[in-house]
Amino acid sequence: MSKTEMSTIDPNTVLVCPACDLLMESRAVPDRHEAECPRCQTVLISSRHHTFEWTLALAIAGLILFFPANVFPILSLKALGLVQSETIYESVFAMYNNELYVVAGLVLFSAIIIPFIKLMLMAYLSTCLLLHYPAPFLAWAMRGYQQLDSWGMLEIYMLGVLVSIIKLVDVAAVTPGIGLYSLAALIIVTLLTSTQLDSYRFWRRIEQLERRT
Amino acid sequence: MTPEGLRNSAINHGIIICHDCRKAFPISMDHQSCPRCGAKLHKRKKHSVAHTWALLIASTIMLVPANFLPIMTLKSLGQGDPSTIMGGVLQLMDHGMMGIALVVLTASVIIPVMKIFGLIILLLAVQLGWTTNMRQKMWMYRFVEWIGRWSMLDIFVVAILAAIVQLGSLASVTGNSGATAFGVSVILTMLAAHSFDTRLIWDKHLEQLEVFP
Repeated sequence: MSKTEMSTIDPNTVLVCPACDLLMESRAVPDRHEAECPRCQTVLISSRHHTFEWTLALAIAGLILFFPANVFPILSLKALGLVQSETIYESVFAMYNNELYVVAGLVLFSAIIIPFIKLMLMAYLSTCLLLHYPAPFLAWAMRGYQQLDSWGMLEIYMLGVLVSIIKLVDVAAVTPGIGLYSLAALIIVTLLTSTQLDSYRFWRRIEQLERRT
Repeated sequence: MTPEGLRNSAINHGIIICHDCRKAFPISMDHQSCPRCGAKLHKRKKHSVAHTWALLIASTIMLVPANFLPIMTLKSLGQGDPSTIMGGVLQLMDHGMMGIALVVLTASVIIPVMKIFGLIILLLAVQLGWTTNMRQKMWMYRFVEWIGRWSMLDIFVVAILAAIVQLGSLASVTGNSGATAFGVSVILTMLAAHSFDTRLIWDKHLEQLEVFP
């Protein structure tokens, strides 16, 4: 690479693959299309139609579902007239009572706190971006959302519930509660949110709004 | 893109990107804060190889107590011993629940071991210059990064069972310290995967292409 070549490239006209550092010319990606890195196949941009509307609707639906999923029992166990039920919080509390404080913390964060923070951040972000409102902390909220993304583990908790049901089938009668159905719906909503999120467009809108202030 | 174009890495053309919002900047802005999102700009993730090795070794060490210490105790009518992860899998097999035994075995034993070997191969690829089959390596990294969280399954199962199986002297489940070790090990491998920078393998790959075109 010659030195002259180095100075002529304008960073605003290029697209760079975050996984393999391939340098490409930036081009518009049509709605509902994905741009894949030709060198390492990493998805670079997934362009979504009405991304702000979708993520806002899904985040609100998620916040509504969050409460029944956490308040109502997920499973109930009946044996010899005794009934025992559990919510996500009660599984945290059980670990705390067993003096497994680290495990209690892991379950608390990955199954309650992080999914909730993610929903709040997404509701805040998509409302402000949809309305073109230059609110504070937009970039901070988006970074936070991206960093927390893989630490919310509701779908794994759900698989844990299913494994527990099968393990208990021999022992006693297990019945799923309203909490389990709400949790299933909440998981679908969270997964849809991440597929409908067009982070390229989110960042560009954040940049426009920050410039205005 | 032309075969020549596929050898263009941004860093060789004086371009770096923000790790959080992926905006491109001239290399002179290295170590400054990203004007768009505020994250620190770096050519490559800082001390990626050393951090990944450290986290990986720590998580491998934690896997030993995770597998030898009991993770939970099921007491039924006052009888029952603490069981380890493998003990739980064997118990499920004894009860003829092969499918679920396979799910638990995959999530708790096979995935953690595969993740560790996968990351070791990627680290050695950077350090020893094993840069053939680049597509396979990227596929492996994406797989390791995506699958990591699913190992939390057993932790959730213990937490759920400890919360619901509280039927006094009839049956009760308590969690044991193996769960802490296992949970910490899973978190450490997830952090190890996050701190690995795949661009380092591509840098090595391109270096070798220049020496042996």
